[in-house]
Amino acid sequence: MIDIAVLGAGPAGMAAATQAAQRGASVVLFDESPAPGGQVYRAAPAGYAMPRDADRAEGDALRAALAASNAVVRTGHRVWGVGGGPLVPLGEAAAPFRLDALAPDGSNTITEARALVLATGTHERIIPFPGWTLPGVLGLAAATILLKANGVLPGRRVVVAGAGPLLYAVAAKLAKAGATVAAVVDLAATSEWIAALPALMARPDLLARGAAWRASLTLKGVPVLAAHRIVAAEGVGVLQRVRVAPLAGGDYRVFDCDALTIGHGLVPATEATRAFRAAHRYVAESGGWVPVLDEDRRTSIPLLYACGDGSGVRGAAAAPASGRVAALAALRDLGLIDAASHATSRASPAADFARASRAGGAMARMMALRPALVAAIPPETIICRCEGVTRAQIEAAVEDGATAMNQVKQFTRCGMGPCQGRLCGEAAAELVAARVGGREKAGFATGRVPLRPVAMDALLGDFDYADIPVPRPAPI
Amino acid sequence: MDAIAGRDMLTSVADDLRIAGMTRPAPVAFTFDGVELRAPEGESLAAALIASGIRRLGEGLDPARPRAALCMMGVCQQCLVRVDGRLAQSCLVPVRAGMLVAPA
Repeated sequence: MIDIAVLGAGPAGMAAATQAAQRGASVVLFDESPAPGGQVYRAAPAGYAMPRDADRAEGDALRAALAASNAVVRTGHRVWGVGGGPLVPLGEAAAPFRLDALAPDGSNTITEARALVLATGTHERIIPFPGWTLPGVLGLAAATILLKANGVLPGRRVVVAGAGPLLYAVAAKLAKAGATVAAVVDLAATSEWIAALPALMARPDLLARGAAWRASLTLKGVPVLAAHRIVAAEGVGVLQRVRVAPLAGGDYRVFDCDALTIGHGLVPATEATRAFRAAHRYVAESGGWVPVLDEDRRTSIPLLYACGDGSGVRGAAAAPASGRVAALAALRDLGLIDAASHATSRASPAADFARASRAGGAMARMMALRPALVAAIPPETIICRCEGVTRAQIEAAVEDGATAMNQVKQFTRCGMGPCQGRLCGEAAAELVAARVGGREKAGFATGRVPLRPVAMDALLGDFDYADIPVPRPAPI
Repeated sequence: MDAIAGRDMLTSVADDLRIAGMTRPAPVAFTFDGVELRAPEGESLAAALIASGIRRLGEGLDPARPRAALCMMGVCQQCLVRVDGRLAQSCLVPVRAGMLVAPA
């Protein structure tokens, strides 16, 4: 058994694993990707040489520190099972945590750990609109992965839409890489960006980068439409054009394009804390449901910690500091460092986190869910792509008596497909919330194993039909 | 609609969407739905298909929600294809020489 397992090798997980290993703990860090970095600092595939930028330098520094530590890094491992801790039969003492992961060769690995640090990051929120299922429509974060990790353009002529700083980052990168940016469609009004400026003053580097993005778009004559939304994506078989209208209503504009990159903010990935039945609360400006944490990032479950954007969106700059705070708390709780050493060591990362959170929090607020977008979804639009469930079907389920997300899932199959509600959950919950009196009441689908799709043969291993234990027949 | 109807529509606009000026591994050949394509070894399969002008990856269960890359990070499950017969998320699969990819 190891001391500390860390789930997720983004900035928070890399920093947590490095910190814990530097203080003498045995640490294993898991990630699905082939190399540490997470989405924001995603490493280029082997054999690629990408141009350096500020993000890449930051990611390389965290990777180098991790590599220099004694932490065992298991990349290419898909963690599909979490267990142990409180997930034991009633009346039994808490067990060590257990992680089940598929190794790159497809075999299953089991790791037991005394403490578990979750650094699971976020996924993108995309509020559905007519035509969002057309090939050619993809996420803003997806576009950054295509550009940064593969050096591939999503299309030749691209509309960039949604909310938050990623909008301008993607648009500027696309334009620089040779795509035509047909339009930038920003949900936020200019006044919202101006209101966010004071919080950004602490990060002149970010402000400068943002200003450079905007300037490069202006220079190329890219139309930037503030307080506008995508009304529909259209095309025969694939995306060919989008309709854009002001949020306040008014005339449509049509932009021809072969790709639409769209994102409405980031949602913390809480499937693991939900599976452990940790306490959660709904904080719209942190991205949605987040685990309840103390100031040292302890969840309500003993020896379970959460850090980085997966515990509330505060951005990549704040993530390493929150990972270090979580790691130090785990070290203290396991008795690997004493109280005095903990108090001294946590002061600096805690202060770093508070400082970075100011700008990160302002950006998270820009990316918070906008209920008006959900209200504008037409009844026949598909919300759940895995199971083909429309807005009208979700609302009919509520009319029929479903009072919370778990029941809507059971009534309609919304969120029951392979993505497990990661794509539809936000819009569906908002539709339910509007009818049952808020997101707290609508709740969330219970977290369940497997956290990711896993093939039956990987689960079964060499267990065969003949291995099924047959009970002895009962005496007559 | 044909499984890869998007391809013909797009090849004229986007015969190669790979950004110039970066070092990549040598291209290898693989097939999608019987058509031979080339992509740098290790490129994400979803990216390789997009770069080849293939956005519609398959019909799935319902033409109203065909297979297509959406999140590129293994979350959304919309980019499913069959790789050498096994269901796989194309965004998470690196391109290898000779892989047989089919719509799912």
